[in-house]
Amino acid sequence: MAAPDVSLLRIRGVTKRFGGITANRGITFDVEAGELVGIIGPNGAGKSTLFECISGFYAPDEGEVELDGARLIGLSPDRVCRRGIARTFQKLRPFQGMTVAENVMVGALTRTRVVKQAREQAHEWLRRVGLAEKAHAHARTLSTGQRKRLELARALATAPRVLLLDEVTGGVDQRSIPGLVELVRELHRGGLTLLVIEHNMRVVTAVAQRIIALHMGEVIADGAPDVVARDRKVVEAYLGQAYVG
Amino acid sequence: MRGALLFFAAAGLAPLVVSDAFLLDSLVLMLVWGCAAGAWNIAGGYAGQISLGHSAFFGLGAYAAALCGVRWNISPWYGVAIGAVLATGAGAVIGFLSNRLRGPYFVIATIAVSQVLLIGASRWRGFTAGSEGIPVPFRPGFWTLGIADKRLWIWIVLALALMVYLVQVYLERSRRGFQLAAVREDEDAALSLGVAARRLKVVAIAVSAAFTAVCGALWAQYVGFVDPLYVFSVDLSIRFALAAILGGLGSALGPFLGAVLVTTLETWLRAEFGGLGSHLVGLYLILYGIALIVIVRYAPQGLVGWLRRT
Amino acid sequence: MSAPAQLALQDLDVAYGDMQVLWGAQLTVAAGEIVALLGPNGAGKSTLVNTISGLLRPRAGSISFEGRRIDGTPAYRRAADGIAHVLERRRLFPFLTVHDNVVLGAHNPRARPHREETLARLQTLLPLLKSRGGQLAHTLSGGEQQMVAIARGLMAQPKLLMIDEPFLGLAPRMVAQIGELVRRIRDEQGISVLFIEQNVELSLKLADRGVVLESGRTVLSGSSAELLRSAEVKRIFLGDFAL
Repeated sequence: MAAPDVSLLRIRGVTKRFGGITANRGITFDVEAGELVGIIGPNGAGKSTLFECISGFYAPDEGEVELDGARLIGLSPDRVCRRGIARTFQKLRPFQGMTVAENVMVGALTRTRVVKQAREQAHEWLRRVGLAEKAHAHARTLSTGQRKRLELARALATAPRVLLLDEVTGGVDQRSIPGLVELVRELHRGGLTLLVIEHNMRVVTAVAQRIIALHMGEVIADGAPDVVARDRKVVEAYLGQAYVG
Repeated sequence: MRGALLFFAAAGLAPLVVSDAFLLDSLVLMLVWGCAAGAWNIAGGYAGQISLGHSAFFGLGAYAAALCGVRWNISPWYGVAIGAVLATGAGAVIGFLSNRLRGPYFVIATIAVSQVLLIGASRWRGFTAGSEGIPVPFRPGFWTLGIADKRLWIWIVLALALMVYLVQVYLERSRRGFQLAAVREDEDAALSLGVAARRLKVVAIAVSAAFTAVCGALWAQYVGFVDPLYVFSVDLSIRFALAAILGGLGSALGPFLGAVLVTTLETWLRAEFGGLGSHLVGLYLILYGIALIVIVRYAPQGLVGWLRRT
Repeated sequence: MSAPAQLALQDLDVAYGDMQVLWGAQLTVAAGEIVALLGPNGAGKSTLVNTISGLLRPRAGSISFEGRRIDGTPAYRRAADGIAHVLERRRLFPFLTVHDNVVLGAHNPRARPHREETLARLQTLLPLLKSRGGQLAHTLSGGEQQMVAIARGLMAQPKLLMIDEPFLGLAPRMVAQIGELVRRIRDEQGISVLFIEQNVELSLKLADRGVVLESGRTVLSGSSAELLRSAEVKRIFLGDFAL
């Protein structure tokens, strides 16, 4: 059990290099239970790399990642998931040969051994993300927006403490975005801790209580959305010196 | 499900109705190849690990049974058990490889394993009688698997077939089965959902290997001769995979139907073109290739899928 | 008072399978202009340029080049029409020499007869083409590769040169050199240039005009002077809080 003064997720000095490129450099921040943190930054800033390091797909060269005080570094992705961190992918990866419900069951089966129970949980999650009528459809028949919801339901079925969302509105048509945003808000209101990578600034500022900006692998700003959006370094990173001030 | 019931009932009743030795012999072989294809399907169809080296396990089983009879004078049933254990070990090795190699590299590695065993068996004269092979002694009796009555053989192999069939059905319905299917579709996505992909793959391959070895052991006793160039051949590995694919990859009954098709094809070819001798080898490979192209193009779910639709 | 557009995109809809990326996108480039295509990530900039060069087919809308519709033309013929595309991350043939890479650019039937003389001209513009001619492409630095890639594009004798992220991963000195090269191409040969770039300020200082895409739509278009320091640009990239 975590002591009340220890943050739920602690990222300390995470550094990841690929050959000559340092994708993440000394990334440090804490996330409290129930927070919704937006992660922004220009292309190549290292946002996805950070998610890969947290979720166990990459092992950082330096640094620590702790969930509830327990080290995650060195654990394989499936063990990180069982500890309580779930994620979605930027490029959608539904299990094409399965139905929508079966997709979600794979997530649920991480928490329960009983197939019947997993099926019930799957249907429940599909109801919450608004895909209940599609439960028996094949995953490959879904539209992009629906696939995003499926990925969400599937990750949620693993009952995570922290959910990492990678570009949940990417490629989704304008009309579907408000629905997705509201869904994310609802999940947050339900007590879930979220880290959200987003390029769409309107989405991120509407949803996040706190924004962390990355640039060239480093954290350049960390604070409330209005503060970060006006931060000189952030403006310079996105637009250039001329736009500052 | 109903199809399976039909198939196994027919196979079980056949010995009571058919008396022609040739037909009974064909049925035994169809069931043996069906079991081997079904065993292959556990790794290839359900776990998505396409191996062309399963003859390694088949050969281990065959040799274990033969050597028990020839060298150590013990019941070949021990050979079945020993073969299964050895194959599980070899399967774990291949499972380890599956976590290091992807796609075509993995397939090549599996072929390599079977060929290493082939060379080992052919050269190790002191132990395995080398490339001449081992004639399996026929000692009448159930315990020594010296069974002349083909009908009994059919029921023995049928028992194995039922086991292999049920294991596959388990893989379709169970928690592990779901997780395995996820690994087959997209390993990284499965990992991110908490599925212990690596471990599952190794277990699937090891189970597949064990069953294949049992097939090999029984086959050796039935046929009466173990030739390393045959039991460890790539040809044999291809046959297991082909039967499963033609029958319906990842379906429980498919491998058995595929084995019936492949065995029938081979028997017919031998009857029609037997006079061609060495030319025969090339011919049925060509036909295999054509069958594969036809199935992949028109019925990718194999015979099972085609039957479901008609 | 505006010159007739050399390149004009109208109401372009482009999708990957069922994922629509561009929604009624618009863009014009006048002959001899340098235009910067800007926008947040995922806005559809590369998709737009790939559609112009024919790597993608639009679902709806039109693309006209020098007054003629080209959206039905296959990609390899658009090169002959006069559109050259320098791809993101250079994409040189790594195991061919600089010389071979560059010469391959003149493959289309209009440029091929003049290959030698175009090459000679480019070698005076870019001396490294001669000095590094025999080197394998993958042994060059990022900036040098970028120059070779642009040279390869120019070998096609284009009227419009499109460059996807010319400054990606380059040191500031190289960035200045490439910028200089782009200006010279336009000034000396009258070739129009359309380029995609992350860095807004850098782009607008190089280009005459800028077009901003957001979520697959053209949301802003204007001269560099107008867009530089514009509050609207800030809002597009950094949201409403930025103002």
